[in-house]
Amino acid sequence: MKTVERIFIVMLVFMMTAGLFANGAQEAGTDEEAVLQYWSWDPELKSRNQEMIAKFEAANPGIKVELTTIEPKEYWTKIRIMANQKKLPDVFNLSAGYLEEWSQNGLLLDLSEYIANDLNNNDFYMNLFDAVKDLSGTDSYYAFPYALVTTLLYYNKDLFDAEGISYPDSNWTWDDFRDAAMKLTKDINSDGSIDQWGYWFYGRYAHIESWVYSNNGHLINRDTMKYEPDAKALEAISFLTDLVLEDKAAPSKKEMSAFRQQDVFPQGAAAMFVDGSWNIDNNRSVAGDTINWGIAELPKGPSGDGSLTYGWPDSLAISPNTKNADAAWKFTRFAAGEGLSMNMVMAGKIPSYRPLTESDAFLEKGQQPDNKDLLIQQAGEDMRTSFTLSWGEWRGYGAAESLGFNGLIDGIIDGEFSYSEALELADKNVNTVLDRNYK
Amino acid sequence: MKRKQLSWYKKQDPWLFLFPTIVGLIFFRVGPIISSFLISFTDWDILRDARFLALDNYKELFTSSAFYQVFGNTLAFSFIYVCGVTIFGLLLALLLNQKLKGMKFFRSAFYTPVVTSAVAVGIIWTWILSPKYGILTIVLTKMGLDSPYWLGDPSLALFTVALIQVWKMSGYYMILFLAGLQNIPESLKEAARIDGAGKFKTFTKITLPLLTPTTFFVLSISIIDSFKNFELIYAMTRGGPQNSTNTLVYDVYLNAFVYYRMGYSSALAYVLLFIVGLLTAFNFYGKKRWVQYQY
Repeated sequence: MKTVERIFIVMLVFMMTAGLFANGAQEAGTDEEAVLQYWSWDPELKSRNQEMIAKFEAANPGIKVELTTIEPKEYWTKIRIMANQKKLPDVFNLSAGYLEEWSQNGLLLDLSEYIANDLNNNDFYMNLFDAVKDLSGTDSYYAFPYALVTTLLYYNKDLFDAEGISYPDSNWTWDDFRDAAMKLTKDINSDGSIDQWGYWFYGRYAHIESWVYSNNGHLINRDTMKYEPDAKALEAISFLTDLVLEDKAAPSKKEMSAFRQQDVFPQGAAAMFVDGSWNIDNNRSVAGDTINWGIAELPKGPSGDGSLTYGWPDSLAISPNTKNADAAWKFTRFAAGEGLSMNMVMAGKIPSYRPLTESDAFLEKGQQPDNKDLLIQQAGEDMRTSFTLSWGEWRGYGAAESLGFNGLIDGIIDGEFSYSEALELADKNVNTVLDRNYK
Repeated sequence: MKRKQLSWYKKQDPWLFLFPTIVGLIFFRVGPIISSFLISFTDWDILRDARFLALDNYKELFTSSAFYQVFGNTLAFSFIYVCGVTIFGLLLALLLNQKLKGMKFFRSAFYTPVVTSAVAVGIIWTWILSPKYGILTIVLTKMGLDSPYWLGDPSLALFTVALIQVWKMSGYYMILFLAGLQNIPESLKEAARIDGAGKFKTFTKITLPLLTPTTFFVLSISIIDSFKNFELIYAMTRGGPQNSTNTLVYDVYLNAFVYYRMGYSSALAYVLLFIVGLLTAFNFYGKKRWVQYQY
């Protein structure tokens, strides 16, 4: 046998033996400590998550957590592949919009037992857990909500003051809102075109459903899982589109095509705006101190009583295939609870952990808005959403935001369709998607 | 014996060098092409195991009115793009095929949009075309003209995005035409001039015919390129308004990575492949009639 061949065989045997030992060592390691894989969708929080994990590991010597952070745009494709391969990380971030799909496909561990026996209910807003249960379409808790986004009415105090209009409060009705929007719409330089709009919206989910729910309406019939907007929902859509077409108190979508939708309000082009509470963070960064602004609940519709909030919680979920379910639960409870700090939650998101939300740190006194306690009130209210299977497709979300139901509402306010034509198309298009999913 | 071994190695040498490329080609090109064809007969959504649907995805596709709108958008975009880059690319090449001062600067300037990120181009053009505050709107208003909603009007948006893509890519085709122009022997043009041909006649009778191999190449490449437009649509219109800028490749992306309908998306991708293949084959078939390879 040639020398080269001998060396090759010796190396091969060595590598195989080393591999066996390494495998043995790894198995020995799993006996001693639980190693959890944690996937986060927020790379910006990596160092803060690592600090949180270090605290957890110090308090739980038998558990080690390995963090993986993935860019949001890649997160869902990657984690879906992991789910398909039955290799989900032990703990991972989950959006409210996917709860139904994931829980019904057996991809989430049922946390009901843990929540019933190993959670101090006084520490958390339990209605968020109920919202998570409802969203999954089951009677079980399949995720642990850690932060909530609600919808708010943002208003420009400077413009309200200039017109002598009193600020919106919890008694405001749709009529009060419409009157204010019309008064606040101005052609400042008298060139024949509007420079300051009373309100700004388009077909986006947060811009439409929030009004539907403020009138206690429904877009989807949950019994039949069909798109069947009730009279209250239609009243809301009509109220909104009339603001553009009849009242001329809001611009069409095409007039605002150069703006990022969330920047119209903080740039002072509209006096009022309704969207998710995360806009608190955006308003601060875009407007800085150039405008004074506040937040309020949505005005009550003719059939609304102000008791419903359109909100959607971000959650942590546990893989049903985890070998360390108890350790994963401990970590989840810590990460969503005492391990969470305000610098890990975007301003405007509401932690489900009450000691954090009901603290001075959350209220951020000295920063706009000066009434963040409104969010605490909203966190305790009942929630409603329009999430279904394939929601992004029929609703028009993300890269499809110009399409779906979103695009049809845009079509009304842009003058492409009449109100009835758009609703007819919505009936056909939305139900095509829903029928495919709920056979 | 040694000589025999040496000749064996010599025979294998090209394959050894080609081996990494072939492996890459099989795993990253041929593999996905075959697997996406198989996926197109399923309802795979990544999350769950795929179910065989036979031709259901293709049936859904051909019976959906939205597909025909997307198909029409794609053909319209492709037509504007191919005509645009061919005409502007040739005009720029003719302009810059002169021996004047500063030509290198202009060649670089016209080529710059080609290497600029499509997303950056999309954002800047969105600002330029902004209905109230955009530079173009301001200029048109100063001239007493009404500025249309370039990106907000469904009848204009596709045309606008296609023109911006033409603006972005014309520099690339300009380089191809420049290379073609510089390969035309000066002696032929001189001969034409001696025979009394004017500038226009020299261009139509000498330059254009001798440029046909380049024109054929430009057409082939630009047709394929026109069907791949994604970034500008993503950055500027997201398929809207009213589906008017939703093209096949954008729809493939939406169905695959937003709706997670991999089966339907793969079916769309195969329809796209078929169309591109058909047009390219048509182009190759017709080249004998108009491409002139000999002087």
